[in-house]
Amino acid sequence: MLTIFIYTFLSGILAVTFDLIFGFTGQLSMFHPAVFGLAAYVTHLLVLHTGLPFWLATLPAAAAAVALAIVVGSICFKFRLKTFYFAVVTLAFAEMLRLIVMNWNSVTNGTLGLVVSGKPTIWWPGTGIVAIRGPVAWYYLTLAALAATVVICARVLASWMGRAFGAIRLNEDLARTLGINVFRYKLVSFAIGNALASFAGGLYGYYTGYIDPGYLGINQSMEVLAMVLLGGQGTLTGPIVGSFVLTGLPHIIDLRAEARAILYGVILIFTILVMPRGVVGTVRAWRGRRDV
Amino acid sequence: MLSLLVGQVLNGAIVGSMYGIIALGITLTFGITGIVNFALGEFMMIGAYATFALAERAGVPYPLAVVPAALIAAGAGYLCNKAFFRFTRGNLVNGLLVSIGLISVFESAVLWYWSATPIEMHYVLPGALRVGDVSLPKMKLLVFAVIVLVIALTYAGLARTWLGRASYAYAQNPEAATLMGVHTERLVTAVMLYSTGLAGLGGALYASLYSLEPSLGGVYVLKGMEAAILGGIGSLMGSLWGGLILGVIEAVGSIFLPTAFRDAYGLAVLVAILLFRPAGLFGDES
Repeated sequence: MLTIFIYTFLSGILAVTFDLIFGFTGQLSMFHPAVFGLAAYVTHLLVLHTGLPFWLATLPAAAAAVALAIVVGSICFKFRLKTFYFAVVTLAFAEMLRLIVMNWNSVTNGTLGLVVSGKPTIWWPGTGIVAIRGPVAWYYLTLAALAATVVICARVLASWMGRAFGAIRLNEDLARTLGINVFRYKLVSFAIGNALASFAGGLYGYYTGYIDPGYLGINQSMEVLAMVLLGGQGTLTGPIVGSFVLTGLPHIIDLRAEARAILYGVILIFTILVMPRGVVGTVRAWRGRRDV
Repeated sequence: MLSLLVGQVLNGAIVGSMYGIIALGITLTFGITGIVNFALGEFMMIGAYATFALAERAGVPYPLAVVPAALIAAGAGYLCNKAFFRFTRGNLVNGLLVSIGLISVFESAVLWYWSATPIEMHYVLPGALRVGDVSLPKMKLLVFAVIVLVIALTYAGLARTWLGRASYAYAQNPEAATLMGVHTERLVTAVMLYSTGLAGLGGALYASLYSLEPSLGGVYVLKGMEAAILGGIGSLMGSLWGGLILGVIEAVGSIFLPTAFRDAYGLAVLVAILLFRPAGLFGDES
C-alpha cells in the first residue's frame, strides 16, 4: 500500500512540474520524460564513478537538466513555435536524447539498463547518517520531496513570475505588448519545471533500483499528460490527484497490461471531452457556482 | 560505393513514399480541420492488421484485400470522428489530446488480440528488378507506384472537383464556406474518413513488405509528422516530397553513421526546418 503512495509522490513531482509548463504557462512540452530519465542516469553514474553522495550527485543532474532546458527552450521559444510545433520539436529532442542514451552502450549499458544498488542517505538528528531503506523511509522521503516541489512551485506562481506565466498562457501577444518578456518567462518556466523534474528522476532511479532508456520515451510523456489532464491542469493539487488515481488504478483493478493501457486512453479521452478542467478544476467550478 | 548510394537513395524513396502517405493524411486533417491527428499511425496499423486478417486468415487474395482493409480503417476513423473528434471542433488542443488517448486505446487493443509477436504475410510479388548493380524488389516498386498515384490523384481531386474546392474554402474561412452552401460537418467527416482511409491504405501496403507489430503506428506517425512539416503543412505535394526527402536522408545517413541513429537524422532535419523555414519547403508563408 505504501508503495502506491511512494509512486504517487514521485510521479506527482513529475506531474506538478509538468503542469507548471503546461497548465500555467500554456506550453505543451513533451520534453519532461527526457529530463526525468537523463537525471536518473546522471545521478546514478556520478555516484557510481565518483563516489559522490546521492544528494550532491543530484545537483549536477539538475544543472544538466537546466542546461538542456535552456538550450531546447531557447531554440523553441526564440522561434516562437506554436502549440503543435512546440510539442513536436520537444518530442523530437526527447527522442534524440533517448536514442543517444539507448546507444551509448559504454556509458549507459544501452537497452539493458543500469541496476542501482546504492541508497540515498540523510543525516538524522540523534542517529547520524541513515540510509533510506524500506517503504516507510522512502514514503517520508518522497512525501517531503513532493511537498518541497509543491511549495517551490507555489512560491514561483505567487510571484511576478507566476503572473507572467498566466499572462503568457492566456494571450501571448497581448502579454508581449504589455511589456512582459515572453521569451524569458517561457524559458524560466521551462527551466524550473525541468530542473525540479530532474530530482524526481534521481529519486525514482534509486527507489526502483533500475534505470533504462524507456524512461525517456513517449509513453512517459503520455502518462504525465494523462495525470495532469485528469487531475486538473492549471492547479497544483490537480496533478497530484491525477497521479494518485492513475498510479493506484493498476493496483486496485487487476487487469492485463493491455487492458490497463486501454483504460488509460479511455480515461484520457473521457476527461478531455467531459471534464476538460480535470477533477480538481471541475470541483472548484461546482463550488464556485454554488456560492453564487 | 556509387551503387550502394543509388540503392540506398531508391530504398529511401520507397520508404519515404510511405511516410508521405501518412503525411498527406496529417496535412489534410490539419490543413482543413485544424486538428492534429496523432492517431493516424494507429489507423495505418489497423489497415495493416486488417489486410493480414483478410489475406492470411480469410483467404482473400492480397490485391482484393487492400481496399477493404483501407475501408475498415476509414470506418474506424468515422467512428472516432462521430464519438470523439466531433466534440473538439472548437478546441483544437483537445483534439490533439484526444488523438493521443486514442493511440493508447488502439495500440493496446491490437496488442491484446494479436500480441506483440511480429507477424508476416506471405510474399505477394516475389522477385526483383535489376537496374545495373542495384536490385529492387518488385513489390517495393509497386507500393511506391501505388502511393505516388494515390497522392497525385488526391491532389488532382482536390484541385478539380467541387468537394476539393469546398475543402480549400473551408480551410480558408469556415463561416464563409458555410454561407456558400458547403455542408461543413459533412466535409469535416469526409476529410476524416479520407485521411484515415489513406493511412489504412498505407498500412495495407506496408503489410506486403514488412512484418507487423502493434507499435508500428507510433513510429510512422512521428515520421509522417516530420514529413508533413518538412514539406509544408498546407501543401499536398509537399507531403509527398517531404516524405521522400526524409526517407532518402535516413537511408543515405545510415551509410555514414550508425544505423541506430537513423531516426535522429529526420528529427535533426525537422528541427532545422522548423527553425529556419517553419512553413516547410512547399508551404505558404502565411
